[in-house]
Formats: sequence, structure tokens, C-alpha cells
Amino acid sequence: MITLSGVRKTYGRTVALDGLELEVREGEFFCLLGPSGAGKTTTLKTVAGLEQPDSGTVLLDGEDMRGVEPYDRGVAMCFESYALYPHRSAYDNLASPLRSPRHRLPAAEARQRVGAVAELLGISGLLDRPVGRLSNGQRQRVALGRVLVRPARAFLLDEPLSHLDAKLRQQMRAELKALGEVQHTTTLYVTHDSVEALALGDRIGVVRQGRIVQTGTREEIWYRPCDTEVARAFGRPRINLLPGVVTERGVRADGEVELPVRAEAAPGTDVLVGLRPRDITLHGEGHELTGTVYVTEALGRSVEVTVRLGAGEQRVSLVAPWADAARLRADDPVRLTVWPENLLLFEADRPERPGRRIETQA
Amino acid sequence: MRKRLLGWLADAALILYFVFALFPIAWMVILSLKPTDQLFSTYFSFSPTLDGYRTVLGDSEGIPFVRFFVNSLVVSVGAVALSLVVGLPAAYASARWRFRGSENLMFTLLSFRFAPELTVIIPLFVLYQKLGLFDTYVGMVWVLQLVTLPLIVWIMRSYFADLTPELEQAALLDGYTRKQAFFRVALPLVKPGIAAVSLLAFIFAWNNFVFPLILTSNEAQTVTVGALSFLGGDRPKYNLTAAAALVSVVPPLLLALTIQRYLVRGLSFGAVKS
Repeated sequence: MITLSGVRKTYGRTVALDGLELEVREGEFFCLLGPSGAGKTTTLKTVAGLEQPDSGTVLLDGEDMRGVEPYDRGVAMCFESYALYPHRSAYDNLASPLRSPRHRLPAAEARQRVGAVAELLGISGLLDRPVGRLSNGQRQRVALGRVLVRPARAFLLDEPLSHLDAKLRQQMRAELKALGEVQHTTTLYVTHDSVEALALGDRIGVVRQGRIVQTGTREEIWYRPCDTEVARAFGRPRINLLPGVVTERGVRADGEVELPVRAEAAPGTDVLVGLRPRDITLHGEGHELTGTVYVTEALGRSVEVTVRLGAGEQRVSLVAPWADAARLRADDPVRLTVWPENLLLFEADRPERPGRRIETQA
Repeated sequence: MRKRLLGWLADAALILYFVFALFPIAWMVILSLKPTDQLFSTYFSFSPTLDGYRTVLGDSEGIPFVRFFVNSLVVSVGAVALSLVVGLPAAYASARWRFRGSENLMFTLLSFRFAPELTVIIPLFVLYQKLGLFDTYVGMVWVLQLVTLPLIVWIMRSYFADLTPELEQAALLDGYTRKQAFFRVALPLVKPGIAAVSLLAFIFAWNNFVFPLILTSNEAQTVTVGALSFLGGDRPKYNLTAAAALVSVVPPLLLALTIQRYLVRGLSFGAVKS
């Protein structure tokens, strides 16, 4: 279990962590998602004891870690830069934790352990090579192996799949989650890839400017994003956010488009209505919208269609099955349907703060 | 056509520089091969002889040149070794941590190189006489720290600073202590730097003239001062001085040739993603 409360860390004038609150439960796979510079790596290093927080506390299994040296914390970390020992072979890198005074496994046992992990990561054939002669993807797997090879209170993984090619990344993503080591060990996983976070995280924490803005399961993050920025971070194509004004009956967006969202907001309030592209259908049931096709893009078995809504210039994109959308051409009139309960409502974005979600009434 | 002309010009310039650079050495070689009685008679026509070297290495003329040579070796190697033992941890600490006064400390260390040695040599002479360090190995190794220590600390500091701290951090998380992280990870990675800076420091220590001139008399005297002994007496023997000087060039030269390959940097290549 990892608990951070009120953790603040500054480097000179820049604030890396600004009162960060985080709780990772025992055995949980927790994904920290955020753009670069949000403080994700600093969070990991603070948990590992490589950085000392200016204030706030770090607990591991309920134990205050203040003043505890990194080698006594019993956590393993995979660095984004790999941090492999360049003067040693891949084998020696993997065996390094097992030879340390903390673990000190007998050589035979260590060899077996390293062999098993190398097998798992598909690097058995590379063990004799100096790490300088490995590709970035291979180095990344060695770095991940150095974490998995040893028992740990917690795994701290900093973008461990970022340099693998797309196919290998997908495969490793599936395997990583299935590994016994990972299943039994509390894991804090840092990524800037929302797909990865949704695929891996038992829970996800969204980090922005040194703070966690939302924590939750993938369903909570997906269906109840705390603000427009979190809503934009998840899902490709991105969520449609239509500017509109609250009226007596719902929300009126540009181009005389009426949307049936009810909320406790005063009429006249500027809002943004969120529509996920996969929640809009071409020939379904529900609330109807009309528009004309702007452009279509084939995605394989489905088609991304961008539609100009109503009479205005406001565009929404949606993803429709090939059969429904293949014949659409630009400027064709279309009829769209949405379920009112799938609509999200946000305050209008302000320059200094993305619009927060407004609770809607069914 | 124009390219070829430029090539010839470059060659000519290089040859000119080559002659310019090697002339003093050639002159020394010629001088060292002259017999004593032909020293001042001619420039290039003489009967070459190795007598000069025989005299110098045979300790004749009452000047124990071989001992000076050994003294130089002991004192220079000692000074470099001590500087490494003291300087490597200092360089590492100053590269990794900012503590109060760390920059002042580093600057003070560097400032030892600013002051001409002559400004401190008289007080040092008095101190050494009182402390019994005059004309001893310990005294020479100690005073040469002024030459070797700042060099080693400053150059090694930049080598350590170039290493990403994440390598040692990885070692800490692997379960090694900070001391082990230094010895097992950081130190092996700066080996090329250690080789290069040791060679430089050795050459500076070996070539130092002022300290042995004032702080030694006979027992711990080094070649730089010792070679001049041949100029004393009623007739200066330039041929012997030249032979002594050439002999004393040999150790730094050999050292430079043997560790040449370490002087090339880049062993840490591949440590981190590029």
C-alpha cells in the first residue's frame, strides 16, 4: 500500500508536486496519467526515496518513510531512461538486484530467476550482450526485467513500454497485467498514454500540474470525468464538446441545435456538452439531430464521420459501422441520434481552468 | 585543382609546424650526443657518442641522477595516488550534491592554481624546515597536492556530473548502499576520465620545478632540478644536461602511449536512451 498525503516538492521556483494526495491499495495496479511535466516521475521518485518531499508524508504499508534510505524501502523502479549499467551485460543488469546485500540470492537460484524473467520478456538470447549493443526496445525490456526479477513491496514503473514498437507494446501490455509478480504486487504505473491507462489500471489517477485532479476506475473516469480536460484525455476520436447555452428545456448549441440535457444551472449559463463519438449513431433510436456530412475517414471496419450540425458550422465526429457510413459523401444530409443519458455537461472552459462537469438529471 | 592546391598548402603548413615543434627536441638530441670537448666548436659536424648518457646514468661526476629519477617517480606517482584517493570522493560529492559552501570550497581548491608557486614557497620552506618535511618524500607528495588535487577534483567533477544520477539511483533501488553505488556503478563508468586525468596530473607533478628546487636538497631531489646539477662547476656540461632531460622525458611519454586508448571518451555510451 502506498499513501502520499500533501506531498509538495519544488525545484527552485518550479513546483513539481503541489500537495499531491494519492492512495494505492494493496496489490492494486494503479495508473498515473498525465502530460509530461505534470509531476508523474517526481511522484515515483518520492515514493522510492530518491527525492525528498519539501512537506507532506509518504507511507509504505502504513509506515512513515521519512528518513528511510531508498535501499531500505524495498521498492523496485523501472526508469524511463532505463538507467541500465552500461558497462555490464544484460545478464549482469538483471542479476544486479539479486546480488545486492539486500536480497543476496545464491548464484544458482539467481541464474534460474534471471532465466525465467528473461524468458518471460523474450530477451533470453540477449543476456550475454553488453547493454550498449541492444536496441531501445530491448533495453527497455531489460530495465523492466530488473524490476520483475526481485521481490518488492511495490513496483514503480515509469513509462516502461513507451519505446517498444506498437505490436510489441500491445503484446507486452497484455502480458504485463497477467504476470503473477505484477498481480501480487502493488504497482504504480506512470504513463502519458490514456489507452494504456484504461487497459492496465485497476484505478487511474489523472495528474495535472503536480496534483491529482481525479482518481477512479476506468468507468468512473470515462463516464464521470471531473472536467473537460479529463474528458478530452480519454477516447479516440476525442470527445465532442459543443458550446451552448442553458435554456428552459435543455441546452441550445450553435446552429439552433437543441440538446435534451437537464441540469441545475440557471438559464443563460454558458456550457459545453460532451458527446463521445461512439455514443452517436446514424440510424438508431433516441434524440434526433440533423446535419450534413463534412468529411469521412475509413478506419477499417468502421468509419469516422465528421458532421456539420444543424444550420451552423459546429462539427461533431462519430464512429459508425462500415455498412452504415460507407456510402456517405460530403454534403449528404444525415440524421444522428444520441441517448440523452450519454450526454455530459460541463461548465464553459476558462483560460486558467478547464470547465468542470455539471451533474445532469435524467 | 583548387582543392589540390589547398591540400598542398595545408601539408606545407603542417610540415612547417612539425619542424617548429620538433626543433628543440632535435637540438637536445644533437646536444646530448656531442662529446664534451666539441660542445662549443660546431653545430652539426661532430663525432657522436653515447658518453653523455653513460655519464648521466652511471652516476659519475658525483651526481646521483638515477636516484633523482627514482625520486621523481616515487613523488609523482605518490602525489597522483594520494590525489585520487582524496579527490575522487570529493569530485563525486561536489558533482552530486549542493551543500552549504560547496561552491566556495570548489573555488578555493581551484584558486590554488591561480597563485604562482613562488608566492608561497618561502613560508613553505620555513614550515618544512620546522616540521622536518624538508627534503623528504612525504613533504614532496604533500606539496604536490597543490598541483595535482585541483586538477583531479575539477576534471573528475565534470565526468561525474555527465553521468546521469539515475544509474546510481537504480543501484540504490537494487538494494545497494550509497557507498556501493559509488564504487560499483559510478567509479567504473568514469575510468577513462581517471586514466586521462591521472596522466595529466602525473605530467604536471613530474615537470614541477619550483617545489623540488626549494623544498629538497639531495635525498628527495627530482630530475627537473637534478638535471641542472650538470651545469654547475667550472664548465657547464650542456651535453649531460640534455641527456638527463631526454631520459626524464621517457616515463611521461611511455605512460601517454600506453593509456592512449583510455583517453578516448565514450564508454558510457548506451547508458541511457539516446
